[in-house]
Amino acid sequence: MTIETTEELAAVAELAREIGTEILAPAARQAEADCAVPELAWKTLLETGLIVPLSEENGGGGIPDARTQVVALEHLAYGDAGITVAAFWSGAAALLLSRHGRNEQVQMAIALSNNPVARGAVALYEGYGRAPSEFTTSISTTAEGTLRVLGRKVGVAFGSIAEPLIVIGVAEDTHTLQAVLVPTDHPGVTVDHAATNLGLNASSTVTLNIDVTVPASNLVGTGENALSTRLETTVSRIRLALAAVQIGAAQRAIDYAANYAVDRVAFGRPIASFQGVSFPLAEAQMRIDQARLEIADVADALDSDETTNCENAIGWAVNHASEVAAEASRTGVQTLGGHGFITDHPSEMWYRVTAALSTLDFDPIKSTFQPAV
Amino acid sequence: MPSITEVSKSLADHGQTLKEWSTAVVRPLARAADEQHAPPANWKDIVASCPVPLSSQSEEKAPYNDGYWVGRGVEYENIAYGDVWLQPLLGGGLGCVVVDSMGTEAQVERWGTKSVARNGWMSSFALTEPGFGSDTSRVSTTATQDGDSWVLKGNKIYCSAGADSDYVTVFATLDKNLGPTGITAFVVPIDTPGLIIAKANEDKLGLRSWVTSELLFDDCRVPLDHRLGSDSNGTLHERRSGRSGALGALSFNRPSMSAFAIGVAQAALDTTTELLLESRTGFAPHRWRTIEDEIATMNVSLERGRRTVYRAQRLVDAGNPDNAAAATAKAYAPRTCERLVRRCMQLLGPDGASTELLLEKWYRDLKIFDIFEGSGEIQRIVVGRKLMGRLVS
Repeated sequence: MTIETTEELAAVAELAREIGTEILAPAARQAEADCAVPELAWKTLLETGLIVPLSEENGGGGIPDARTQVVALEHLAYGDAGITVAAFWSGAAALLLSRHGRNEQVQMAIALSNNPVARGAVALYEGYGRAPSEFTTSISTTAEGTLRVLGRKVGVAFGSIAEPLIVIGVAEDTHTLQAVLVPTDHPGVTVDHAATNLGLNASSTVTLNIDVTVPASNLVGTGENALSTRLETTVSRIRLALAAVQIGAAQRAIDYAANYAVDRVAFGRPIASFQGVSFPLAEAQMRIDQARLEIADVADALDSDETTNCENAIGWAVNHASEVAAEASRTGVQTLGGHGFITDHPSEMWYRVTAALSTLDFDPIKSTFQPAV
Repeated sequence: MPSITEVSKSLADHGQTLKEWSTAVVRPLARAADEQHAPPANWKDIVASCPVPLSSQSEEKAPYNDGYWVGRGVEYENIAYGDVWLQPLLGGGLGCVVVDSMGTEAQVERWGTKSVARNGWMSSFALTEPGFGSDTSRVSTTATQDGDSWVLKGNKIYCSAGADSDYVTVFATLDKNLGPTGITAFVVPIDTPGLIIAKANEDKLGLRSWVTSELLFDDCRVPLDHRLGSDSNGTLHERRSGRSGALGALSFNRPSMSAFAIGVAQAALDTTTELLLESRTGFAPHRWRTIEDEIATMNVSLERGRRTVYRAQRLVDAGNPDNAAAATAKAYAPRTCERLVRRCMQLLGPDGASTELLLEKWYRDLKIFDIFEGSGEIQRIVVGRKLMGRLVS
């Protein structure tokens, strides 16, 4: 059921789906095993201009709007969610710099879009259910005019190797959101929890403890209030991407399981003919569809007003999409039975990646634990 | 009035001792077992270090009077609380359980549960094939009599302990035209010519240290008395039909599978609760209140699952087993346990899903509990048929 309401969006969806299924899906296992995205996949994603966006005046294809981006991400994630988020999170640094950076900072975005081995990072999430307006990472101006950045960030993709690393925090004086460039090799940046993860190995996610003082010129943009409002919109877009990726993975999981259910025969007929098998898949499809509408609406809201950040709506959309995706991929494994539990089939991978993604921007008051029965 | 869902203090104490031992001794080896797809080499020493007699390992009288199957449920849960890697190494495997239920007296004496325990053997169970899982009437491995032997031919998958076992209890059909009634079981020693270990262990989402083998039977020849229910002349003394015998044997084990899942989920919940308390100040007060409520809900959910397990096992111990009660126990808890462990990871944030903790492993391990030994869908058919008869499919 398509929600691509324009020809342009439909074309983006088609292109992303093709790259997803033909380039990303075959690379998925390797990306997990190597804890890195294979070069061909990365290059292909760069070439689309959807992942590391660059404005036309800087030689790029233009910065896509939020709606286009969620459509692209969903369909790329249909191929592989792990690779898609890895590339998106690296590209998120370029998105921030392209939209908000001064000229020399935009150059960093250009470098990210041209160099397939370059990685950017945005230190965004803090855990504890915090939305950006509740972040405790602080940015303050010292007596010497430098910037002190103090905080702890979780789930930072490429957080220990990225150049640039952009830390999102709250200005101590104005209480608005700001972004600061921080060198990853700064002694005040320490990495913990650099271990592998349930399903996000291709992104090399880490937890960063940050206590650094950097030159004032490291502030992304000018730091004035008007700019900060727009920065929040970009941060919102980065958060919303997660929901789109979850829905892409979920759709793939149930499409795969649905095909299996049609082919697999038990008790004299294809198992799809048993309601015990078909109803959970149909239920998952309905929920995916609904979550997709919610995501599209929030994306439209972000696009229609550059001063809005839809913080609450994004929290709901992300948490809901995560739950929908984790349960859909669960239904996917369950449909395959024992075959879903072995790595001969990709279903187990989707089960892991959706759960791993669901931990990133989780808020216990925007999703409720429900016993299964 | 005696409770059907509570256990005696002596059994609860027994469980508590096991839980503490498993947490201290079994759990620290869990990550390595997962990474190496094998239990630690010294697992027998680990078992020997258990401070209380395990029902599956000891002929000593149990230190409680609650009954064998209830005791087993409690043991399963509390051992699993440490980690799941140890479990398949206890109890001698499923093959001997089938021998107990389908074999002649001589066969039970030779290969049954007690013999397996006495000899320190492991028995495996080979029913599933590439073409079927839940629909056990589709067995296509054939058994053909040739003089004084049976000749087996076919392919079996997902055989727990298969490659590591001393013998395999294999289900085969004598005649595909007979459907379910043509299916019977054979004991095949692992070194029998023609029994080929095609794949020693599958690469799996979870339970990676549990051996799950693919076995080929390529004109594999066994004597007549290796057919369960048969003597050496080929005369049958069958106590049950082949397939229902197998499934009957499984149904006693089903509630224990849930006990297991509950143990894993409780471990995840307790680990998470402790970590959350340490980082409590990071949460806004309104979120912390929600989290406290959720932790309470999760504990209550596990308690509900436990009741279904104890009830089903008590009925078995009382000589009055009930398939629907066993199915309820098997189907009720595992899915909630999956959600619970996912919730724990979410509450801890991305660090909760890292390999530095065991939650991500337990999330992977748990998924099979609603699939193996009769999926949740199949259990619902069992319960549905009790309500509505054979119309239910």
